[in-house]
Amino acid sequence: MQKARPTANSLVGTRTGSMRRLLGAALLLGIVALLSGCDAFGGPQNTFAPGGDVAEKQRNLFLLVAVLGAIIGLAVFAVLLYTMVHFRQRSPDDPPPKQVHGNQRAELIWTILPAILMIGLAFPTVEGIIDLGRDPKDDALKVDVTALRFAWQFEYADYLKDDGTPLKVDAELHIPVDQEISVTLHSVDVIHSFAVPKLAGHLDVVPNRSNRMWFNATALGTYSGQCMEFCGIDHANMKFQVIAQTPEDFDAWIQEQLDAANAGAPPAPPEQPAGE
Amino acid sequence: MASVTAQPGSPLAQAMRDIRRQAGTYQGVWSWIATVDHKRIGLMYGVTAFTFFLAGGIEALVIRLQLAAPNGNVVGADQFNRLFTMHGTTMIFLVVMPLSAAFFNLLIPLMIGARDVAFPRLNAFSYWVFLAGGIFMNVSFFTGGNIFKGELGAPDGGWFGYAPLTLNAFSPGHGIDYWAFGLQILGVASMASGFNFIVTILNMRAPGMTLFKMPLFVWMTLVTSFLIVFAMPVIAVALFELLFARLYDATFFTTAAGGTPLLWQHMFWLFGHPEVYILILPAMGIVSEVLPTFSRKPLFGYPFVVFSGIAIGFMSWGVWAHHMYTVGLGPVANSAFGISTILIAVPTGVKIFNWMGTLWGGSIRMNTSLLFSVGFIAMFTIGGLTGVTHSMVPSDYQQQDTYYIVAHFHQVLFGGAILALFSGIYYWFPKFTGRLLSERLGQVHFWLTLIGFNLTFQPMMILGLLGMPRRIYSYSDGMGWDVWNMIATTGAFMIAASILVFMYNVVVSLRSKEEAGADPWDARTLEWTIPSPPPPYNFAEIPTVRHLDDFWHRKYAENEEGQLVPVVAGGANGEHASDGHGIHMPSPSVFPLIAAIGFPLLAFGFIYDYALVAVGAVFLLFGLYGWALEPATEEGEEGAH
Repeated sequence: MQKARPTANSLVGTRTGSMRRLLGAALLLGIVALLSGCDAFGGPQNTFAPGGDVAEKQRNLFLLVAVLGAIIGLAVFAVLLYTMVHFRQRSPDDPPPKQVHGNQRAELIWTILPAILMIGLAFPTVEGIIDLGRDPKDDALKVDVTALRFAWQFEYADYLKDDGTPLKVDAELHIPVDQEISVTLHSVDVIHSFAVPKLAGHLDVVPNRSNRMWFNATALGTYSGQCMEFCGIDHANMKFQVIAQTPEDFDAWIQEQLDAANAGAPPAPPEQPAGE
Repeated sequence: MASVTAQPGSPLAQAMRDIRRQAGTYQGVWSWIATVDHKRIGLMYGVTAFTFFLAGGIEALVIRLQLAAPNGNVVGADQFNRLFTMHGTTMIFLVVMPLSAAFFNLLIPLMIGARDVAFPRLNAFSYWVFLAGGIFMNVSFFTGGNIFKGELGAPDGGWFGYAPLTLNAFSPGHGIDYWAFGLQILGVASMASGFNFIVTILNMRAPGMTLFKMPLFVWMTLVTSFLIVFAMPVIAVALFELLFARLYDATFFTTAAGGTPLLWQHMFWLFGHPEVYILILPAMGIVSEVLPTFSRKPLFGYPFVVFSGIAIGFMSWGVWAHHMYTVGLGPVANSAFGISTILIAVPTGVKIFNWMGTLWGGSIRMNTSLLFSVGFIAMFTIGGLTGVTHSMVPSDYQQQDTYYIVAHFHQVLFGGAILALFSGIYYWFPKFTGRLLSERLGQVHFWLTLIGFNLTFQPMMILGLLGMPRRIYSYSDGMGWDVWNMIATTGAFMIAASILVFMYNVVVSLRSKEEAGADPWDARTLEWTIPSPPPPYNFAEIPTVRHLDDFWHRKYAENEEGQLVPVVAGGANGEHASDGHGIHMPSPSVFPLIAAIGFPLLAFGFIYDYALVAVGAVFLLFGLYGWALEPATEEGEEGAH
């Protein structure tokens, strides 16, 4: 905040103040641009770069409320700054200000307007909850996810081995692109959380409770996921990958895994698809 | 024990009488041990909480050092988990809550024109139990083996202690036991203090001070105290279940035996969300006192601020499951809690607008206390707005348990509570020490804090959106998190520097010769009518209250255009006719301390050896017994109260 100026020429004071603020904002923008140049706004778990419909919906909802919040926040900051500069005491002998105890109309307005705005936000929220919480489509690929301290296992209920049990893989979940995936989550020990930020937000893996969610990948690539509920000493390293492939590649990978499992040999290390 | 009776001639009764007499003669440091004076207890709360603040801050710095760069190796995963658990637990239960309690103790009797709280010995008991609980919790650092080899025994289940991770199967060792017993002990202190302030505020107001003539801080204390007495029992039940599970294999949270882990989450957050408001409402009360004084205007819309505070108190009970959106409660529950979370933003917003309305049109004195309050408004606005993003449930599925959440609640608890508490410290420091804190150092402190705070926590918001989970001891490079973590760590050290400036300020200012006087700020409420520091009896004559901000109205009248007119012969009446002689004050007592010592001993007993339970029980019962038999007035003294 500006120190009280001895001169009463507050107009000039405010103008240089706003110049300084503008400069500050420009500097900040410059820093931000610089940082974004060096991948500061990227990374394999960036929720701003969704690779599927669920994450995209979540990002859009976030952007809606973030932009709205930023506008409100900046307005509050602007008024606050103006108040601090304009109404600052310039000398201890300043006449006492007018004693205003309140203004019922103003207060009703700033109670009711935000309430209406907030209720407005409830609509996209509930719509989103219902959409993300709906049952997966019939043609969804079913995957049972088992979380255990500190690893992930994936079982494909639709693809059975010769002995009749589902195909089971560790740490890497292969999925076909553009197809809904229905995951059912199982924990054998404590609570974990299944999260692939670029594809879908979290769902907790709770013992004795089979949580289910759907998501899809709309772009080929490898998506990074990790446990997002503190589960003990190696929580930080409880990671997995989701690899979205073309349906053909996916079928080939499944076949390869089935053959390997049926032969009793450990499955060959999976190929990394190029790029994201 | 029940058969023990203290007959007048029995050795037990004699011992109690001796202890009582002894307490009355304590001088110097010892007189603090037996004090029941709310101002001394308030100061002890403040100093103790600040000491824990330093401990929790050091834990935070180690956490930030570890995460400054990818693959950090300052500490290992095990130590890291213990450090963040203790950081969270300490800052909430041993810093912000007791700092608020310090303000309650120091200010409530003065603001309502009373000589002490309703139950002075219960007040001392609250403090000693809090201290015992805090020490007990931190002793755990040393019980894990050789601390110099990094073998810490502190709890490692997070401040939220989710079952079943906290059960013996996954958390062997005694860390979680310390955590659960520690919180139980602290709960006793909070409950006692909550009841004490409810009774004090409702019964001990000066004549004429109706509820709607109470300073806003008193209102917020009342709401907070009700929240405390309703919320603490909820976590007490949850902790008892956890302790029974750990000590006696109870199966509340064990799925194999039909228990359910989510039971813990429901109870914890049913406590946990009111707890958030327990932490923030006192801060809002402080700001509502500071802003009118330094803008020389009454609080804008006092009834709105009061009622929004009460509304927050009620609504805080209906939002707990917004901590649980991702546990799979289903669309109906998530929608209901999403909407209730949206709605609680409204009364919070009302307060922010009212504070700005208070500043608007004022004659704003830019000093450190005001700057911290304005900083509070700005940072708490960010906290509130990021809170609204959480009510967008599907979007929150992404942010749950990421650094975005860490950023959000530090906006509220540091940018909110801590900034407001500092504002209160600068504001009331002269009242209780007789010395003003240095303005120059204060401004350095403020700007360092504000800049450091923003450098620390705004990058965390971005980290969360880039998918960085909370509570990870390390991360690999290539995640895009490096730059932001480095900035956050830099900011954390800046905050640490600002705290050093503050401590230096306190030391320098206490040594200064310049007296603050009774009313250095031209303030509004009753505490400024009496000398600084106040005499033990506070008010030589109990004031009669006619207005909200009664002291202000004694100094100034308002004409019809709302202009101030000084009142002739108004102002501080620091010099009273009476010198306080003949005012009966409660006698000092050490029985609250003796009783408080019993609690950690009981807890040690349950953890290590039941023999200690017996020792603890003896302390507790002896303390309570002596306390109960203490006469209101000493023998031979004519009881006049």
